[in-house]
Order: sequence, then C-alpha cells, then structure tokens
Amino acid sequence: MLAVDNVHLSFGGVKALKGVSFDAAAGEITGVIGPNGAGKTSLFNVISGFYKPQQGSVSFQGEDITNLAPDRRAALGMARTFQNIALFRGMTVLDNIKLGCHTRLSANVWSAMAYFGKAQREELALREAIERDVIDFLEIDHIRKAPITALSYGLQKRVELARALAMKPKILLLDEPVAGMNREETSDMARFILDVQERFGTTIVMVEHDMHLVMDICSKIVVLNFGEQIASGTPEEISNDPHVIDAYLGKAA
Amino acid sequence: MGVVLQFVINGLMSGAIYALIAIGIVAVYKSTRVVNFAHGYVIMIGAYLYYTFAVLMADVPWLPAWYAAWEPQWLLDQRAGAQMFSVEKAWLDWLSNLPRIVIGLILAIIFSSFLAMGIERYTMRPLLGQSSFAMIMVTVGLISVLSGIKGILWTGDAASVPHLAPNPPIRFELFDTPIFIFGANLVSMIIALVVFAGIVLWIRYSSAGVSIRAASEDQSTAYSMGIDVTSVFRTAWIIAAATGAIAGAILAARDGVSPSLGLFGFSVLAIVLMGGLDSFIGVLIASFVVGIIEALVQWQLGGGWVEVTPYIAVLIVILIRPHGLFGQQEVERI
Repeated sequence: MLAVDNVHLSFGGVKALKGVSFDAAAGEITGVIGPNGAGKTSLFNVISGFYKPQQGSVSFQGEDITNLAPDRRAALGMARTFQNIALFRGMTVLDNIKLGCHTRLSANVWSAMAYFGKAQREELALREAIERDVIDFLEIDHIRKAPITALSYGLQKRVELARALAMKPKILLLDEPVAGMNREETSDMARFILDVQERFGTTIVMVEHDMHLVMDICSKIVVLNFGEQIASGTPEEISNDPHVIDAYLGKAA
Repeated sequence: MGVVLQFVINGLMSGAIYALIAIGIVAVYKSTRVVNFAHGYVIMIGAYLYYTFAVLMADVPWLPAWYAAWEPQWLLDQRAGAQMFSVEKAWLDWLSNLPRIVIGLILAIIFSSFLAMGIERYTMRPLLGQSSFAMIMVTVGLISVLSGIKGILWTGDAASVPHLAPNPPIRFELFDTPIFIFGANLVSMIIALVVFAGIVLWIRYSSAGVSIRAASEDQSTAYSMGIDVTSVFRTAWIIAAATGAIAGAILAARDGVSPSLGLFGFSVLAIVLMGGLDSFIGVLIASFVVGIIEALVQWQLGGGWVEVTPYIAVLIVILIRPHGLFGQQEVERI
C-alpha cells in the first residue's frame, strides 16, 4: 500500500533520516515509534509531501509519489493529522469537517463560480455521507456547531480525526493521536482508530509515544532512533529486540 | 442640512473607490498574510495600461477607424443637434468612445492580471514557507521595480483618458438641498460597490472562498487537506490586479494618468489598517468614513488639510483599536 524505500533527509548538516525503509500493509495499522528527535515527524512530512527526501522514494499503491505536492497526494487518498492540533480555529466543527471533503468535490475555484448549481447538489449528497460516516461515527454530533476554541483538547483531536476521515482516505497518517490525553480520552481514541480500520478498511500509519497504545493496536511497528531505523516487526518481536531495549532503556552494563 | 449633504455625497463617491482599491490589499492579505505595499503601483500600472489601450492605441494607423472614434452618420447628426453640456451630448460623446473604453479596460485587466501572476510566481512563491515579513519586504522592493517599468515604458507627463461612463452633470434636489454630481463619478461608485459586493459574496459562499479562508489560516494544513494553496495565492493576486485595473481606470479618468497614482495605495493602506486588515466589511466602512471626512475637511478647512486630517483619524483609531475597527485579534501588526 505505502512503501518507503531507503529515505535519506537532511537539513544542512543535520541528518534527520538515514535510510528508512518500510512497507505499510493495506488495511493494517503500522506504528512508528522512537525517542524524541528520532525523526518520526520528519518521516511523516516526507510521506505527506512537505519535505522532499534527498535520496530514496515513497510510493503509494505502487505509484512513485516522491515528487508530488501535498495537495496532489491528498487527492490520491492520503489524509493526515498533525502533532499540534491544526484545526482552522476561525471555523466551526462542521466547517472544518466540510473542508476535509474539499478534495471529493469536483468543483474547483473557477468551476465553483460557473456551475453553482452542480457544486451545490454535490455538496448535499456529500453532507449525507459525512453525517453518517463521520459525525455519527465519531460521536461528535452534539458539538457540530461549536467553534473550535470552545472544545476540550481531546475533542479537538477527535475533530481533527473527523476532518481527515471526511477525505475518505485510503491511508490515514496520524501524528501522535493521543499525545497529551488522559487515560479515558486515550482509550476512546484507540477505539475510534480500531473502528476506522474495521469499518472502512483504511490503512493507518501512526506515530505515537504511548507504548501501551502502540503495542495494543498496531500489527507492525517501525522503530527509529537518531534518524536510523533500528528495528521493525510485530509488537512481540519489537518488545524483545535488544536494539530497541538499548535505545529506550540504555545499554545494560 | 444644507451644503453638508453635497459633501457627504462627494465623500461616499470617493469612499467607494477607496473600497475598490482596498479589496486588492485585503484579498492578498487574507490568503497569503502579506501586506502588499506595492498595491498602489500595481494600480498605477493598470491605469497606464488603460491609457495605452484606450488613448495611445487609438493613434495607431493600421487599426480600424471605429477604434479611435466610432462615428456612424446618425451619431454625428444627433450630436450636431445636441445641446452643449446636456445629458444627451454626454451620452453621445461617450458612445463614440465606447469601443476604446471597453477594449482598453478589458486589456488593462488582462495585462494587469498577467503582471500579478508574474509577481506571485516569481517573487512570492519562492518565499513560501519563509516568514511573511520577507514577502512584505519584497513588496516594498516591487515599488521601485514597478515605478522603473513605468518610467521605461511611458513618459512622465500627465495625460487624460476617457471616463468609463457618460459624464453628464446631474442636478437634483434632496431634502430641499440642490445637489450637483458628475454622472461618471456616480457610475464609478456603483461599479466599485458591485465589484466589492460580488467578491465578498464569492469569498463567503463559494467553496473557492473556503479554500481561501483555509489557506489564510494555516497553509500547511490546507495543503494536506488537498487544497491547492498556490492556486489560491494566484487567485488572490489576480483579484487584486483586476480590481486594481478597474480602480486605476476610474482614477485615471478622474485625476489624470500620472505616477502619483502609485501614492494612492499608501492612503488606502492606512484605510485598510483602520478597518482591520482581514475584514472586508470593516474596510468598506472605513473607506466611507475616510471619504466623508476628507470631503468635510475640504469644505471646512480647504484642500491643504485633506491630505492630513483623515489619516490623523486613522492613527487615532489604530491607537485605540490596534487591530482596526473590525479586525480579528490575531491579526499580526506590521
């Protein structure tokens, strides 16, 4: 589904990624973990197109997308959330979610002006799908008219997930979906992520610090440390891998 | 009431032109977070383009005669019979200029849009991802570049160009006060308000407008939502250049074509700051307020004060409300 092959990324002299390669299998949840500064978010930015790697390639559904701009990748069915909530704060929850389906509307800047009727019909049909698959599904019906700033942190994260889902993505990139959440919010989010995978068959790649969450819901884990990929495999393999234990706990004397 | 009404009406008419110019500054700011200091100079180029296609081109020998002056026999006959300074005479004069007015305006809009696309593509886009301060400094540099281009292509002499609309003097009574206005100024006000309303409604209600609002709030998120951010930027610059060309043509007909049109942009920038950089409605109100203050000052204190007084009002407003009358709190100050 998504294949990252030997990606190298550097900013001036700082090497953020040194030869990262992994595959995310269709319909599965792949986790990317690593200590702070390991290059997880850089990797995400390479996958979603904000950074161009100096070497290596990213391909999606067998197609090389290394040189595509982020908006073209979104059009191919790639959606992401951000580590720091990146909702449009000046808009309501519903407006934010509707923005997510922007790519699914065929009307663009100019045709929206010319074919107002068509654009409107399209929007009505979409609204129904969004209602069912996003708003009811994520249980955010009660806050749809609320301005973003009025919501709790956990709810804002959920709205961000809703906006990504509204894009009806084939692959969903989640950058620290439960960072800063309490236990209850975390287990809610875990349930939603699993539901998304089950109901829509979406491929999910997530970066996360919460080891319990990653071990619980991911079927494959990639471990980064200082930009290098030190391990990849099932949760069981990872938890017994000596390199990973070194990176997280320090070398045994 | 008396004479006040006359000056308020004059103020409303010049305020509408300010609003038309302000659209360009607000549209570019809203989508790219760049305060375009060079907007007045984009307008100046628009005015010179209108001058070129509506006046200079009329002298080109290989162009058909109707381009310079469309004068079928019936029009000449009518005109010979029309009274000087009558409404009929004004309409007939306008009619024979109509081909070059229309062609001049359309070509001015098209060429200005190309200029804006060039500016966006070659001076703004390479700076994407840098601080918007860098882009703002580029617009300051553009002032010199655009004045230079003007100096190379056109002479410095002031020249006059045809009005967009017939220009009969109109007299009527309002609340028992005799009012006197020029037809072209009235039509210019209407054009300015229609264009303003059209663009505001478009940004508010179309999905294109949603893209503009999204891109203005957070470029990278908008990008990852599948919004083509560069096309949003291009659209904003084209809006600015097209409205600027219309405003340039109106101003050139009213005040003559001259390099001082560029300075006009700075006055409007002050008005935009007063209204709130990202609020179309605030800017519209501020434009009318400044227009009316200018007219009243001219009436009471004379022309010398006009340049200063409205901007003292702007300063006071900004000191009290740093984000402008209707600006949002997070608007950054420059």
